[in-house]
Amino acid sequence: MKSHLVVLLAAAALVGCAKEQTRYGDARSVETLTNQYGSTDLQMMAESMARSMLQAPVIASSNLPIVTVQEVRNKTSEYIDTRAITDSIRSELQKGGRVRFAVDQAGMNPQVDELKRQQSELYAKDQRAEMGQMVGAQYRLEGNIISIVKQVKDAKDVYYKLNLQLWNIRNGLLEWSDEKEIRKTTTRG
Amino acid sequence: MNPKWIIAASAAAALVAGCATKKGFEQPGFAYGCPIGETKVSSMDDLVKAKVMAEGRRTTIQATEMRCSKSGDLLRIDANLNNDSKNVKRISYKFRWIDREGMRAWEEEPWKPVMLYENSNLVINTISPTNKAADFRLILRSEE
Repeated sequence: MKSHLVVLLAAAALVGCAKEQTRYGDARSVETLTNQYGSTDLQMMAESMARSMLQAPVIASSNLPIVTVQEVRNKTSEYIDTRAITDSIRSELQKGGRVRFAVDQAGMNPQVDELKRQQSELYAKDQRAEMGQMVGAQYRLEGNIISIVKQVKDAKDVYYKLNLQLWNIRNGLLEWSDEKEIRKTTTRG
Repeated sequence: MNPKWIIAASAAAALVAGCATKKGFEQPGFAYGCPIGETKVSSMDDLVKAKVMAEGRRTTIQATEMRCSKSGDLLRIDANLNNDSKNVKRISYKFRWIDREGMRAWEEEPWKPVMLYENSNLVINTISPTNKAADFRLILRSEE
C-alpha cells in the first residue's frame, strides 16, 4: 500500500514538473493538427492561384495591368480570414513584378485621409501629393471559398474549394478564373 | 566482309547514335526543355537525377519524367511522380528556384502535400514565379 502511494506521489510530482518547451518550427511545413482550415491550406491556395494568374493572357502580356482586390466571400461553416488569402496572392504577384495593385476598398479611407492631410499648409507645396492623381484599376479580383463537411462517428471529411475571378472593370468581361480544391479526412482509431 | 560495307555500317550507326542523343536537346544548356547548364544530361534519368532532391524523411515515390517549356519568359514544369508500391503514399513537394548566378531567385515555397494511389502516376506542374528563375530543383519528402 505504501509503495503504491510512493509511486502515485512520484507520478504526480513528475506531471507537475513536466517542463513546457517552446521551439521555432518551419512556417512552411505541412500542418495536420486538425482538419480545420490551416496554414498549409492558405499557402497552397495562394500559391496555386497566383501561379495560375501569371498565365492569364492579360497578365502574361506584361503590360503591368492594374488590379484591385475585392472580397473573397467566405461561404464555409468556419471562420476563415479570406483577406489573408488575397494578401498572399497580392504579395506573390507584386514581388514577381507582373501586376500593379490599386488601392482597394479597405485601403481607401486611409489613402484619402493621407491625401487630405497633405493638402495642409504644413507641407511643402512642390512635394505634397496632388489631389486627383490616383490611378483606377483595370481589373478587379474577387471570389468565393466554400466547404462541404461530412461527418460520421469515426471520420470527418472536409472539402474546400476556392474560386477566384479577374473581371475587366471597363467592359465587364471575365478575363481569368481558376479553382483550387483541397480535401482533408480525419479518422479515429 | 567487304571493308566498304563496314565503313557504311559504321557511318549509319554513328548517324543513328547522333540523332538519338540529339533528341530533346535541340537547344544547348537545355534537356527536354529544362535548363541544365553545364550538367551532363544524356537521358531522362540523368535529368531527373539532376533536378530532383530529397529532404527530410525519404520517400519511395520516384520522379520518373520531367518536361519543361517556356511560357513567355517564365518556365513551365511538368513532373511525373510514380508510386509503384501496393499502398497509398503521402508525400509533400516544393520547387526551389535558382537564378543565373546560382542564388535563390525566390523565397522557399511551402510544402505541398499530395496523395498517390497504389500503382499510380501523378503529374505535378508549376510555373516559375519570376523571370529571374533560370533553374529549379524539385524537392520531395515523405509525409508518413
